[in-house]
Amino acid sequence: MIRMDNVSRNYRNGDIVVRALREVSLAVEKGEFISIAGPSGSGKTTLLNLVGCIDRPDSGEIFIDGEPVSARTKKELALLRREKLGFVFQTFNLIPVLTALENVSFVLSLLSIRENEIRERSRAVLAEVGLSGKEDVLPGRLSGGQQQRVAVARALVKAPGIVLADEPTANLDSKTGEEILKLMEKLNRDHGTTFIFSTHDPMVMDYAHRLVSLHDGTIVSDERRAA
Amino acid sequence: MTFLLSLAWKNLSRYRKRTVITAAALAVGLGLYLFMDAWLMGAETESERNLVWYETSSARILHEDYWDERDRLPLKYCIEDPGAVMAKLGEERIPSAPRTVFSAELVLRKDPFPEDGSLPVRVVALDPELDDGVFRLGETVEEGRRLRPGEEGILIGQWLARDLGAEVGYSLTMITRTRRGYYQTIDAEIVGILNCPNPAVNKGTAFIPLDTADRYLDMEGAVTEINLKFPERRDPDALAAEVESGLVPDFPGLRVKSWRDLAQDYLAFASMKKSATNVILLLVFVIAAVGVSNTMLMAINERTRELGMMRALGMKDSRITLAFLLEAGGIGLIGSVLGVAFGTALSYWIVTRGVDISGLIGDMDIGYRVQGIFRGAWNPGAMVTAFFFGIVLTVFIGFLSTRRALKRSITECLYR
Repeated sequence: MIRMDNVSRNYRNGDIVVRALREVSLAVEKGEFISIAGPSGSGKTTLLNLVGCIDRPDSGEIFIDGEPVSARTKKELALLRREKLGFVFQTFNLIPVLTALENVSFVLSLLSIRENEIRERSRAVLAEVGLSGKEDVLPGRLSGGQQQRVAVARALVKAPGIVLADEPTANLDSKTGEEILKLMEKLNRDHGTTFIFSTHDPMVMDYAHRLVSLHDGTIVSDERRAA
Repeated sequence: MTFLLSLAWKNLSRYRKRTVITAAALAVGLGLYLFMDAWLMGAETESERNLVWYETSSARILHEDYWDERDRLPLKYCIEDPGAVMAKLGEERIPSAPRTVFSAELVLRKDPFPEDGSLPVRVVALDPELDDGVFRLGETVEEGRRLRPGEEGILIGQWLARDLGAEVGYSLTMITRTRRGYYQTIDAEIVGILNCPNPAVNKGTAFIPLDTADRYLDMEGAVTEINLKFPERRDPDALAAEVESGLVPDFPGLRVKSWRDLAQDYLAFASMKKSATNVILLLVFVIAAVGVSNTMLMAINERTRELGMMRALGMKDSRITLAFLLEAGGIGLIGSVLGVAFGTALSYWIVTRGVDISGLIGDMDIGYRVQGIFRGAWNPGAMVTAFFFGIVLTVFIGFLSTRRALKRSITECLYR
């Protein structure tokens, strides 16, 4: 489903070149529940950004569903993200002026879907993440955990093949974080959606069915665990 | 599109303080523009009207050689048979009034005047019975009475009377030259004092009856000009050309000049003043634009992460731009509506009542042909321009700010 072949990504910080990822190769199959682990600066976010097609590698190639992405135009990448990828951000990144339902619907409004279907699907996915009755509430009136649930619902509503979550529990207390992980695991199990999430929290790593560890931009271990 | 409109509306109402501040900055700029424009428009409209009513008339028939020497007010280039010309004009139903204009030296003697002295003055000899058909001078007599045919009476403007220390009943002596060039003295009694809304008339013009001037100046029935009254809202240049082409076959030596030709100096001044005022108006707009762009830039900057999220989720840059432009347009719409309302409210008093500027500028000549009550005028064109300008300005600034934000990479936007 996803394949990274010798992918490298460097950043320039003034005169210093930071080698965020160094010739990383990784293959992810459909339905996996993977954690990308590592300390700060190990390249977790860079890896997720590259897989999520919101950044481009300096060298190497990334394949999604067998198709290389590096040669695609900005518009084509936007279309790919719209149709195939879901994102969950550490800081939730909900639109503050929209209600929970509208935040979820927003993603579907980018696709050619009828208004009625958008509302039905958005309500259903909000119910699935345990937010029935909160549809008309603005993000500012929801707790951190509830906001992240809205973000997960937003990522899942279009039924993408892959959901990328960058430290999804970092801004939550441990109990709420665990609830979010359980929710993601359940959605992975029920829908077969591939989840790739980054973390440096051991509790979060324990939930992963596959743990890919990064250090200084290189994969140092890749272990599969029993689900 | 419905979603984008709804998003724009929600953002506008959620960030109410920002919306109000930005719209208010725009509204103040537009309001001040409309207020200043109303002043200018009023000054111009009233000046042009006062020129036509009291100074130039709609158009003037002159001897063909008179125009080149008009500054010297020569008596040698005259219309010899004004009656025949006016009869021809009467057939066309064009009101007309003959006048003879000449220069004279006013001689004053102490007692009753405060002191001895002399003063150059422009004297207009008018037909008291026909002049009201073209000019409105008679309505401006504030003290005394109007002129009567054949009398040795004189009307002077209020400003001139004040300068001379003159009152109704005082006698004046005018020294001038006849048509043949001989010196001539005319003694006349001040029968009235005018308070004309046109300061140029008030300041340095004296009026005597036409037949009296004819007698003293040996004019033998000739006049220096015949003034015409055209219907309002008609193009005076076109009508003047039409009248001239009708007259030339019978009176080949005559020319017709419209009030625009006659008031070239004023029009040049007004145009210069307008250019200078446009610079001030531009500054008002620049200040408003800076205020608006500052708050809009900040607003879009604050929402860079939101913009990054939208792009990450696959929203096209063009749709994101449209979303922000709708919001900017909304601010522009509110600002424009408030601005036009504010400008209208500011201008209402000066348009309906006017402001008495005599205390402010006294007898000072400000170039415009207005004095006393200074009235503004509504300018619907300026209102429409201001309204659309406000929207275009905010949309343009919104576009620049959004484009700047979109130049950042998605990751830069997300992790700012």
